[in-house]
Amino acid sequence: MLHKRIFTSVIAIVTAISLAGFAFAKTPAELNDLEIAHVAYTADVIDIRYAHLALAISKNPAIHDFANTMIRDHSTVNDLALALLKKLKVNAKDNFLSQQLNNGADGLVDEMSRLKGKAFDKRYAENELAYHKAVNGLVENTFIKNIQNAEVKALFKDALVIFKAHEVHAEKMVAALQAGN
Amino acid sequence: MRNLPTTLWIAAAFAVAVLTAGIPSQLSAAEPAAMSHTIEIKKFKFHPDKLEVSLGDKIVWINRDIVPHTATANDKSWDSKLIAKDAKWETVVNADMLENYFCRFHPNMKGGVSIVVK
Repeated sequence: MLHKRIFTSVIAIVTAISLAGFAFAKTPAELNDLEIAHVAYTADVIDIRYAHLALAISKNPAIHDFANTMIRDHSTVNDLALALLKKLKVNAKDNFLSQQLNNGADGLVDEMSRLKGKAFDKRYAENELAYHKAVNGLVENTFIKNIQNAEVKALFKDALVIFKAHEVHAEKMVAALQAGN
Repeated sequence: MRNLPTTLWIAAAFAVAVLTAGIPSQLSAAEPAAMSHTIEIKKFKFHPDKLEVSLGDKIVWINRDIVPHTATANDKSWDSKLIAKDAKWETVVNADMLENYFCRFHPNMKGGVSIVVK
């Protein structure tokens, strides 16, 4: 059941990404460095939104620990990204994928806001796992390969190590909730 | 006669200086000097993740990652608190120190120190 829900979430995100690309005759692989930077920044901001929601709704200390780590780490990466863009004297560029991610996040925040207790914890944890899996796959298999600027590429490589650790952390959080902890 | 006490004082002072100078060297021969060990935190791992230390040794953790970490005993009896990028935290090994530790922010990061008695 759990795996099915996670799988469904991953498919939904990947499908959204694919369909968005198709609708605008553009795919994630066609994004340039500035657009990729915008997507990554947006993805970080979205996960920080989810984390703040978790801190407001959940009473589970493990969920709070995870959410605080998401806020701390994603904020740090975004600060570094902004500093790098400033150094390079460029601005991140909004694009179909950033917009698609934001739209998806709005819907999910609405959905999770209506949940309480263990139902919220489970949904939050499962989404964190699905979200990190989907975004990590995109970063690893598409973005890092396509980024042209060496400094931007290096930051993405560092960030991927962080976000993969988050994915493992989320996996264990989901398993613990499933076991009733 | 008036010079005799002065001579004696000089001789006595010389004898005391020689005797006390010998004391630290004898102590240091009996007790090995405390060492300093460095554990680097890189790419979400402690390097080295296992380390042999002795009582009185110093352990220094340095965070080379871009996000903060901690070095925290599994029972939280000792805790670095937040170690920012390129910052350090150090502690001195004592007999009560719990040997297994982790990062509170990223619980999959684990390390251990083995306290050996020499």
